[in-house]
Amino acid sequence: MDTVEKANAERQRRWVKDRKVGEGTYAVVYQGREASTGRKVAIKKIKVGQFKDGLDMSAIREVKYLRELKHPNVIELLDVFSSKTNLNLVLEFLDSDLEMIIKDRSLVFLPADIKSWMAMTFRGLEFCHRNFILHRDLKPNNLLIASDGELKIADFGLARDFADPGYKMTCQVITRWYRPPELLFGGRYYGSGVDIWSVGCIFAELMLRIPYLPGESDMDQLKTIFRALGTPTEEEWPGHTKLPDYVPVGQFPKTPLRDLFTAASADTLNLLSKCLIYEPRKRITAREALHHPYFFALPYPTFPSKLPKCTTQMAARPLEEVDGNVEMNSTGPGVKARNSNLKRKLTSPDVGEGKGRSIARRLDFSRHTPGS
Amino acid sequence: MSTPQAKVTLFEASTQYKNWRYSVAQLARIRRDLNDAAVAIIRTKFDTDELGSSSNVSFLNADEEVLLVKLYITKITQLCGLFRFPEEVEATAITFLKRFYLKNTVMDWHPKNVMFTIARLTALFLATKTTNNPISLEIYTKHIPNTAPNDVLDLEFLVAQSLGFEFAVWLSHRALWGIWLDIQNLPDLTEKLQPELYDTALNHIRASRLTDAELIYTPSQIALAAFSLSWPELASQWAATKESTELTSLSQITEDIKLMITSCGRAPNIESVREVDRRLKLCKNPEKVIGSKAYLARKREEDRKVEERRNKKVGSQKGTDESDPFGNELSQRKGGLVDYEDDDDDDDA
Repeated sequence: MDTVEKANAERQRRWVKDRKVGEGTYAVVYQGREASTGRKVAIKKIKVGQFKDGLDMSAIREVKYLRELKHPNVIELLDVFSSKTNLNLVLEFLDSDLEMIIKDRSLVFLPADIKSWMAMTFRGLEFCHRNFILHRDLKPNNLLIASDGELKIADFGLARDFADPGYKMTCQVITRWYRPPELLFGGRYYGSGVDIWSVGCIFAELMLRIPYLPGESDMDQLKTIFRALGTPTEEEWPGHTKLPDYVPVGQFPKTPLRDLFTAASADTLNLLSKCLIYEPRKRITAREALHHPYFFALPYPTFPSKLPKCTTQMAARPLEEVDGNVEMNSTGPGVKARNSNLKRKLTSPDVGEGKGRSIARRLDFSRHTPGS
Repeated sequence: MSTPQAKVTLFEASTQYKNWRYSVAQLARIRRDLNDAAVAIIRTKFDTDELGSSSNVSFLNADEEVLLVKLYITKITQLCGLFRFPEEVEATAITFLKRFYLKNTVMDWHPKNVMFTIARLTALFLATKTTNNPISLEIYTKHIPNTAPNDVLDLEFLVAQSLGFEFAVWLSHRALWGIWLDIQNLPDLTEKLQPELYDTALNHIRASRLTDAELIYTPSQIALAAFSLSWPELASQWAATKESTELTSLSQITEDIKLMITSCGRAPNIESVREVDRRLKLCKNPEKVIGSKAYLARKREEDRKVEERRNKKVGSQKGTDESDPFGNELSQRKGGLVDYEDDDDDDDA
């Protein structure tokens, strides 16, 4: 056997697959462990044999970027090996994701909790952007939560390096509800601002406990955004009417964020509004966001291990089920809980069946992934 | 908000910095060891095939292997011209190929009748994907004579494994572009910067790809050397503004790279390559030459193993059927270990 193949086989023996926890069209996820230490891991097995072009782009991207990125708020790729026609990614094992936590109605979020999740998200994202990597698919279920409460950005299947000015990129990225208006208008030249918009949507969702801008189609998404934030003017966002897919979608007045986020502090709304600025170049950067007064004002962020955790594992269900059924006027219990006496459940996460579902649901290969 | 690793530069955190940089001596040792090991194995194979037959074979030495790899690099450049791939695809593919041949030997993977050129075709195909310039494999192989999509796919894992699945490459032509932009901000720049200056420097970068420079030096060091070859005064003027405390060692490094580019940055002499290539055909690993005794022996061995496994499977199924309902099969399982082979069989269907 050749040296390289031998080394691969050795790597393979380092990891033990214990049980299948999720299955997608092109990949299977196992819960496993490191043979020598017993450390729990997730093993994502991608069935390369099914792709006529060999290793597929999302696997290549995930491996390429995660191999380079080591940060407490980015999921760690521990190892990669191949077995026959499969590619195996050994990832750190994470209990749940932010979507599950948001949807767990038994949990109450304090403003300090939201600040903690936001700080961790911005730290991880600042690290990606500092390394000139755009994530391009930020959403609550790609923000995984470790058992110690640490938040980790995951799923780099749509990530790419920043392009040089003048190089086109695809606008078919980012899950619709978290997609910024410049992409919805078909912008092909963009930067780190696209991820910041997504973080803004996640920020709002943490307060509302429901998706903030749940458009039913790409066209409706623009309408939903404008309904919430007002139709942008030429002055606010110079040149946006010249974007390739620009269409007028109606005039909506600006309503103050305060009307919807009734209990949020001024700092909170200021940071949120800076994430959701229409002109992408004026949008706050991850680095600036980390220096925003919001993070220095009281209450201080909750220590990760003290954050609310999922008590029950939610059944896997497709995102579409929620699509379109959201009451825009409901604010949810989020920010209002600030002065409430509701007790939080700080139960340790359930170790039972279905633990890996958060990973399983991540295996969505159905989305459009053009190669640019 | 400083992180604990605030002092580590982005490059120093990269896999390229950590895993793919060597001293000249290290590089020579790695290649010698790889060559020694390969020769020893192939010698045994030859002798198993026919006793004493290896004594007639003149194996390639490490330097001759390097010469061939250099030839393959020039072929990658030709192919990239054919497909009009961007510079980063070409540069990345060349890096992949160099790294590949630090883990594999030319003697293993060059049997003309089977694997001719495939390793480098696969390296290039993989580079189109890792640099986000994917092309359909069908179109790719259609333009390359005598190559089927499966030839490339068959080696993709081996190439990826050899690269340690580390696909991010820091390229010196990008560093050159950075210097070029930066140099335009030099405060006391008197002369006008002609674009030809950049083009000349870029050609020196291209020449450096035929050398070991990228396995020894950083992309910015190579870029500075390339720039220095095209305009030494301006290069040192720029370097001086970087306030590096190690300017003296930097200028020594720059000189070393310049020497490397000017002395080794050329396509190999065709005559010398032809001679090496002729000898290579005689000393290929016989196990990988279809039709040789060693190949057939290995094939038979593999078939036997497959057969054995199949029988075992059938046997164990039978066992469950026929034995008592409490089953005695469980005891055979090793504690919690998954049979990977078995596991994969299910999914390959």
